[in-house]
Amino acid sequence: MHFLELLVELLLMPILAFVIGLAMVLMMRRIGARIQRRVGPPVLQPIYDIIKLYSKDTQISHGLMHEIGIIMAVGGYIAAETLLPVPGLDGLADKGGAVTLAYMLMIPALGMALGVGQCANPNGSIGISRALTAMLAYDIPFILVIFGASYVYGTTNLAEMISIQQQQGVSSWGIVQMPLLALTALLILPAIMGKHPFEIYVAPAEIATGPMVEMSGKFMGGLFVMQCFQLYTAGVIFTTLFLGGGVYWITFLPKIFLVVAIPMSVAYLFPRYRTEDVLRLMWKWPMLLGLIGLAVVMK
Amino acid sequence: MNELDKIPVRQEISVAQGSVKRSNPLANVFDELVRFCQSRSMFMLHYCTGCGAIELPPAMTSRFDMERLGIQPMVTPRQADILLITGYVSVKTLKRIILTYEQMPAPKYVIGICSCTVNGGMYWQSYATAKVLKEYLPVDIYIAGCMPRPEAVISGLRDLMGDIKSGSASNWKRYFQNYDHYLGNQQKLFDEDWQTPTDIIAEAEHYGLITDQTLGEHTALLQKHQQPLEALEFSLGEKREKIRGENQ
Ligand code: SF4
Repeated sequence: MHFLELLVELLLMPILAFVIGLAMVLMMRRIGARIQRRVGPPVLQPIYDIIKLYSKDTQISHGLMHEIGIIMAVGGYIAAETLLPVPGLDGLADKGGAVTLAYMLMIPALGMALGVGQCANPNGSIGISRALTAMLAYDIPFILVIFGASYVYGTTNLAEMISIQQQQGVSSWGIVQMPLLALTALLILPAIMGKHPFEIYVAPAEIATGPMVEMSGKFMGGLFVMQCFQLYTAGVIFTTLFLGGGVYWITFLPKIFLVVAIPMSVAYLFPRYRTEDVLRLMWKWPMLLGLIGLAVVMK
Repeated sequence: MNELDKIPVRQEISVAQGSVKRSNPLANVFDELVRFCQSRSMFMLHYCTGCGAIELPPAMTSRFDMERLGIQPMVTPRQADILLITGYVSVKTLKRIILTYEQMPAPKYVIGICSCTVNGGMYWQSYATAKVLKEYLPVDIYIAGCMPRPEAVISGLRDLMGDIKSGSASNWKRYFQNYDHYLGNQQKLFDEDWQTPTDIIAEAEHYGLITDQTLGEHTALLQKHQQPLEALEFSLGEKREKIRGENQ
């Protein structure tokens, strides 16, 4: 019985994540549109896009690795979703923990690198090298944040972190306990989501959307699906570490949408940084803030 | 007023190319859903020719906002659904257009914006422009005008959406079915050893779109001149040595 329950949870968590992710993509595009004084896409636009991409007649595959790469990119996120506790569904959260999650989140980027490698398009290779550089840039502050949070709560188990914050009220939320680390996380959030001003690897004008250059049809559809997961994951991690997670969806959903909306609204106001500037910026301010934050919580 | 009627809007669509209804009603519903999504989500290639391109930014930005119709720009042909030809096409540009068009995944649509794509417009006497676009590529919709206002562009795009939804926008199949004709016109303009990296005949076979007009004298010419594609040699080091040698 227990096994069946787990199975249902494991199926349900990625599906929920996908649906919420679709709404987040819509929100992102609407925010962008409103900032540019446009109406923005209709409500079901993300779904139209994905169905359209999967229904293309021509599906250009560049070989086995290309296909496996996309599966890894989407699969990595699906695996990550089962490690993220949400209200009512814990999945594998108490067995995995924050460190496993941090590893899981690297798989999609590596999958993309493998897949793009086989496309043999120079723009793609430049894009993927930029994507990995960006990952290097934000991962160090990210690890600092995860380390700090684990230190404060005394556990790497995400489900336990949530219950600690839930039992002791707002004053025990991560954002009150370690405001500097929360700020660090907020600063690297756009980079984790691959959005402006850190979207160095998509760069449509110079490298024709980088890793996506040879992706068409269902491969691009896979990446669209991945984007939904990406936004959702970033929102849920931040909420779990700093905003007390949630026992009920009704309090949980506004939090994750708010978390995604903040960097989005800021993002559309800034142009893109150069690759080396991203690295310099990430390793200077978020890292400095993160280290000071760590020192404060460990005093 | 009658003259206006002569401006083509759509390339004639033969009955055989209309949507084929499948016998299974569920499959029909599925087809309709897919067509609906295809019409509501169109990625257009960011590739512009001629002066009509200047009308696209207003059509995309705050005043007319194409994104509310699900149309957004994409930068690589692999992801694009519509190719907008926004004005006169010089011979040199046409080569790039054909290269780009052949790389786009089907179903793909071509929109000819501006009078210059219909009949050459004011470049009629130019030696360097290709006059009638539909001789080289199957065009789905023409938006005539010198240049058409954003309202006209949007209304043309809406026409295309209607065609896709009803299943009659299958002009991309023409390219495979009548490849010999299109290739012939291209060869006339570019020279008889003109070739592109995309193997259209193999693709036509893949889609089952080979007709007796797919192969002909022009494709025979193509096969005679065709050179196999080879990966470019990567020899930065040698080249640098060579340049250095020349400089000394
Ligand atoms: S129709 Fe007029 S505006 Fe358009 S490309 Fe020709 S000359 Fe330019």
